[in-house]
Amino acid sequence: MPDNRVELPQGTLDLLILKALALEPQHGWAIAERLQQISSAALQIRQGSLYPALHRLERRGWIKARWGTSENNRRAKYYELTRKGRAQLETETDAWRRLSAAISQVLEMV
Amino acid sequence: MLTDLFHRLRALFARNAVEHEINEELQFHFDRQVETYQKAGLDQAEAVRRARLKFGGLDQVKEEYRDALGTRLVDECWRDLRHAVRSLCSNPIISITVVLSLALGVGANTAIFSLVNALLIRSLPVEDPERLVIVGDTAVESRSWSNPLWEQIRSRSRLFDGAFAWSPEQFNLNRGGEAQFVEGIFASGAFFEVLGVRAAIGRTFTSTDDHPGGGTDGPVAVISDGFWRRRFGGTPDAIGKPLMLGSVAFTVIGVTPPTFFGTDVGRRFDVVLPLGAEPLLLGADSSLELGARNWLRIMLRLKPDQSLDAASATLRGIQQQIRAATLSDIPDSFRARYLEAPFALTSASTGRSPLRNQYARPLVALMIIVGVVLLIACLNIANLMMARADARRHEMSVRTSLGASRVQLARLVLTEVAVLTGIGALAGIGLSRWMGHLLVQQLSTRNDLVFLELTFDWRVFGFASAVAVVTAVLLGIVPAWQFALSNPGDSVRERGRGSVGGGRSPVAATLVVGQVALSLALVVAAGLFVRTFASLSLRHVGFTKDHILVANVTAPMTQYTLPRLVTVYERIREAVAAVPGVQRAAISDITPVGGSSRQNLIDIPGSALSEADRIVWVNVISPGWFATYGTRLLAGRDIASTDRQNSPRVAVVNEAFGRKFLQRENPVGGTFAAGVPGSTTSFEIVGVVEDAVYHSLREPVPPTMYTATTQRAAARPYVNVSVSMPGGSSAVTSRAIAEAIHQVDPNLVLQFTPLTEQVDAALNQERILALLSGFLGALALLLAGIGLYGLTAYAVSRRRAEIGIRIALGAAAGSVVWLLVRRTGVMVAVGMAGGAVLSLWASQFVNTLVWGLEPTDTVTFLGAAVTLATVGALAAWMPARQAAQIDPIAVLRES
Repeated sequence: MPDNRVELPQGTLDLLILKALALEPQHGWAIAERLQQISSAALQIRQGSLYPALHRLERRGWIKARWGTSENNRRAKYYELTRKGRAQLETETDAWRRLSAAISQVLEMV
Repeated sequence: MLTDLFHRLRALFARNAVEHEINEELQFHFDRQVETYQKAGLDQAEAVRRARLKFGGLDQVKEEYRDALGTRLVDECWRDLRHAVRSLCSNPIISITVVLSLALGVGANTAIFSLVNALLIRSLPVEDPERLVIVGDTAVESRSWSNPLWEQIRSRSRLFDGAFAWSPEQFNLNRGGEAQFVEGIFASGAFFEVLGVRAAIGRTFTSTDDHPGGGTDGPVAVISDGFWRRRFGGTPDAIGKPLMLGSVAFTVIGVTPPTFFGTDVGRRFDVVLPLGAEPLLLGADSSLELGARNWLRIMLRLKPDQSLDAASATLRGIQQQIRAATLSDIPDSFRARYLEAPFALTSASTGRSPLRNQYARPLVALMIIVGVVLLIACLNIANLMMARADARRHEMSVRTSLGASRVQLARLVLTEVAVLTGIGALAGIGLSRWMGHLLVQQLSTRNDLVFLELTFDWRVFGFASAVAVVTAVLLGIVPAWQFALSNPGDSVRERGRGSVGGGRSPVAATLVVGQVALSLALVVAAGLFVRTFASLSLRHVGFTKDHILVANVTAPMTQYTLPRLVTVYERIREAVAAVPGVQRAAISDITPVGGSSRQNLIDIPGSALSEADRIVWVNVISPGWFATYGTRLLAGRDIASTDRQNSPRVAVVNEAFGRKFLQRENPVGGTFAAGVPGSTTSFEIVGVVEDAVYHSLREPVPPTMYTATTQRAAARPYVNVSVSMPGGSSAVTSRAIAEAIHQVDPNLVLQFTPLTEQVDAALNQERILALLSGFLGALALLLAGIGLYGLTAYAVSRRRAEIGIRIALGAAAGSVVWLLVRRTGVMVAVGMAGGAVLSLWASQFVNTLVWGLEPTDTVTFLGAAVTLATVGALAAWMPARQAAQIDPIAVLRES
């Protein structure tokens, strides 16, 4: 395993999932692959923990699920963002940016 | 929020489908990952291994997924429930005992509360009962009034939102001979309208029907739903049919709804007649015109914005006018008081009920007793549960080592408690209906039937639930608290033998001490009530109770005049005396403890007593009445047949009379005047009899004067024939007596009551209280005994090794027994002390219920203490004796 992978801070998995679904509906495996791709494999996510997170997002009404057929003709559960989910994505992205900016500022101080 | 709820509910109720979906989804992911690795060139086994590493353990992920479903709490509770039921079933004897005790306890409490609810709390099933008030005066809350006075109020009923008057009666369905009574009401025309009761079928009567002799439709009657079904088969064409009451035909015009039982709680009616029908049934004895005969009760409905005080003020304002208009019939000496006595209004939303007055206190006492019995039962059950928890210590420590937290263990035990209490409470609620009916049946006596509908309304249900919850909390607190304190893991290490004391004993000991204290208080209460009943039953009454039959004879006043009745009654007496099997027969106006009484004002020459002190009780009797009842003649002579209309008026008095008014050796020969000043009659005392109970068994015998039936100008429309029959069966003889009276006049109405029943009926309330408290006291004793037994047995089992060693070292059996009994003895002593204090404190509340002894009666207390000590000694001795027979070698080998 490469050593430059960073641990995912608490609670940010939700944000990443919402972002991953921003473009188009996907099933769970595809989300995992996409996250790996986009972050250039820098984020270390245990794939199994994706699914409880997905279900929690579904319970909150930010994503909704639908059973469909996958590329290899098997049944798979597809998730997509709801309107509430999109709004939540914006809010959380905004909050994250402000937080990281603030922390960076503190760290810059000599 | 809604989506969350939807998903949670789906996970709860469509669990299988959800699990299937989870499996499918995770399997899909896993397979894709394996595929990817295979495409990248790895072989099957390696691809699977890598995928597993990347994914995480499949079962672990599934477990995390299940956590995310949001149903964990419900799942765990459901699992606890299944465990609880299984473990309860594995111990059937204990579980059944507990459920049974709870069912009895909750059932008894709910039954008595439903009685309290029906009698004391529930409002009348009419429209807006809170606006109803009953008219009384400052002395009596709901006294009766005369019809002329009612007419005055009725003409002014615009001052309120309506008024009505009524009188509970019994109507005779038969024309003559032995009576067949139905419960009835005479009611004024506005009765139904003011109450807001609409007929279920047909119509109710109104003011137009309420004219003397009948209104436009003639004599009409409204019947109850129950009577309609019993008598008319529940058919709609009952409307318009005739109903014979006595010798008058009434037309049935309507049926009331099933929930309406009238305005008297504890009674129900079969037939309601308008006031105007009264002269039809009573003829010359009609009370409609009499201003001095009080028989009607009056209720008003307040206007929506009228307060009770405002209405009282209004009524008092018109009082003078009302009273003045009805003054003519009032005797002069009472007129001043009549004009002044102020009206008083009291809320009547719960109706009127003499039953309530009689039974309110005993019912509350019973409720408390039954509550205490439940408490004692709970303490027993708590001990049982703790013993069970002890036996399961090993199981609990295994659970702990498998990862269960203390909270989870406590929850497991609490679930068991909840299941037991739930089942027990439900069974108890079912039992309570049956118990309640049984109790209401006990309230009825032969001539005074009680009808009380024990509805299971929200109040009763709320009470039952509250009792169940409190019970569950009480039972659950102890084991849960024990878990919180102790460390369940300890018992894996220890072997569970030989440790003296231990965590359970102090708590268990406290519980048992509490049980003993409560039981002592209950036994004392039971002792007091039983002795009260016994004293009253055995009290010297001054007459023989057995073998005397009372026949109440009523003459239909549509056919007789009062003077004629004097001779008729005499003929009845002679006819009955001639019946074979009858030893003696006599007639009188009043019979002992018969429920009615008459009083008169007397004046003794030279007496300085106030008017209130010169009231005596009166009975009018025939010659031989004292002999029939076995009342001893102490001096002088009895009323004789020679005392006729034209002889000087004579009277026989009792000892109390002589003691109060004539402090001479022998009152015989003295004279006094009786009657209202202005119309007195002079009497000569010709005899003195012993004190005989007149009206109440609880009170001392009042001064009584007996005058002759043969010496009065006009009789009453009814008379009581008292027959003494030392041999002979009551049924055969009463038929012969009925026949004999029938020969005199077939229109006379008869009602038979054996004297014993009449006297017993007067003691009904005391009898019920004694019966129930005795039963409950015995139950409390049993429960306390069981608790003590259990505790001692447990101590023996814990100390088996120690006892074995003591015996092996040469201790005598007696000393071993004493060792164990001593501890129990201390607990019993402490408990009794506590119970004595509790009883002393509680004794102030039962003053009115006991008779013939003080609530702090020493003999009762001592008796209760001795009983409890005996039970305790027995309970402790049994396991102790077994302990003394322990074989030390067998015990020491038990390792």
